[in-house]
Amino acid sequence: MKYTTFSPVNNDALTEPMFFGNPVNVARYDQQKHAIFEKLIEKQISFFWRPEEVDVSKDRLDFQQLSDSEKHIFISNLKYQTLLDSVQGRSPNIAFLPIISIPELETWVETWSFFETIHSRSYTHILRNLFTDPSEIFSDIVDNQHIKKRAEDISQYYDDLIFYTQIWQTHGLGEHTIQGETYNITMRELKKKLYLCMNSVNALEAIRFYVSFACTFAFAERELMEGNSKIIRLIARDENLHLTSTQHILNLWAKGKDDPEMAEIAEECKEEAAQIFMSAVEQEKQWAHYLFERGSMIGLNQDILCQYVEFIANHRMSAIGLGQPFEVTSNPLPWMNNYLHSDNVQVAPQESEISSYLVGQIDSEVNADDFGDFDL
Amino acid sequence: MNKDRYQVLVSGKEIAIKQEPDKTLLENLEDNKVEIHSHCREGFCGTCRTRLISGEVDYIIDPLAYIDDDEILPCCCKAVSDITIEIN
Ligand code: FES
Ligand SMILES: [Fe+2]
Ligand SMILES: [Fe+2]
Repeated sequence: MKYTTFSPVNNDALTEPMFFGNPVNVARYDQQKHAIFEKLIEKQISFFWRPEEVDVSKDRLDFQQLSDSEKHIFISNLKYQTLLDSVQGRSPNIAFLPIISIPELETWVETWSFFETIHSRSYTHILRNLFTDPSEIFSDIVDNQHIKKRAEDISQYYDDLIFYTQIWQTHGLGEHTIQGETYNITMRELKKKLYLCMNSVNALEAIRFYVSFACTFAFAERELMEGNSKIIRLIARDENLHLTSTQHILNLWAKGKDDPEMAEIAEECKEEAAQIFMSAVEQEKQWAHYLFERGSMIGLNQDILCQYVEFIANHRMSAIGLGQPFEVTSNPLPWMNNYLHSDNVQVAPQESEISSYLVGQIDSEVNADDFGDFDL
Repeated sequence: MNKDRYQVLVSGKEIAIKQEPDKTLLENLEDNKVEIHSHCREGFCGTCRTRLISGEVDYIIDPLAYIDDDEILPCCCKAVSDITIEIN
């Protein structure tokens, strides 16, 4: 079915499924099929923040004091997060918007993606403060084998759904040969691709950030890189909300509260969904291995990080009916919770930086004495 | 009838705790050294998701995180009767 930016069908959005019904026409929120998405929009907007509000200038000194292995850990994590948010800043829009059928979900996806772009901009803010020229760091994201491998795993489900949707929207249902390849486009197949994609996004929001988060907050526990940590706390708060949205979508489907065919697909693809989650867990553990291969950092090692990933995965998997596959029952990094607590992330006005100052400071010398007992 | 103290029975561990009236259920559990996981403490992340076996709770903040019909978010509710819960 051809996509239209304003469907002339005078449909009742309250009877549309979340996806693959009529395209959305009027952006109205006075009535909602799934009110949760409107609430998530409000909450997300109430979280609005700008990276420039967080003073990261002291981090530059801290960074110079880090050991080589710690620098590797810090920079590699920033690269990985940059990759994740590069994908998340565009993909929910491109993959989901053309097939969404209710206005509150459409606007939620746009709001969600917009916040991912704030995350992306904040990595530039952090890196520009640490390096006069951060281009080498950014270009390594496309060259580094370890990051590349992750990029493929993350983008493949999106790309698959996007491609099938494009065929469907330009050629309709049925068998089509495109550049020598034959594709059989059925509504069932499209919905299945959507289901797997949503599971992959859910796993991304659920666990893929947590190895990096743990490292950032372990530095902060030692009062190092605290500007960075403040930004990551704001990001973590947003990610928690994104996760809530994908959990809602998956559960609405599975419990038969939306499209009944999606409930069947959820049942049929349960194994595959669990597999997507488990392989994300595996990749995060490999990432922890890569981070620490040049040496550990104080307060963290590969084993404890892997246990933490399993611990988080247990919680996140049980939230979507996939059980708790791992043994670990108590939190191996209890101090993490203090950094993920919503109340602890307010940005105080006196910490705001004027952006002209920010540009100027990149070339200026900063001495430890300048800060005195300045506290973040 | 509104009492200001309720028994909270945490199954598996079988401990009864008192609900202090001006605290959330989560805070009350923590005060009583019950191990319960939390992130946002504001009802949107779902980390504190807990099964309510019997009794009733009232929400102070509208819960946004996904919970099943028999589950509650202790970070944003209070007990309004004696309750039995099971922590994940
Ligand atoms: S701690 Fe986030 S919902 Fe309770
Ligand atoms: Fe993000
Ligand atoms: Fe996100």
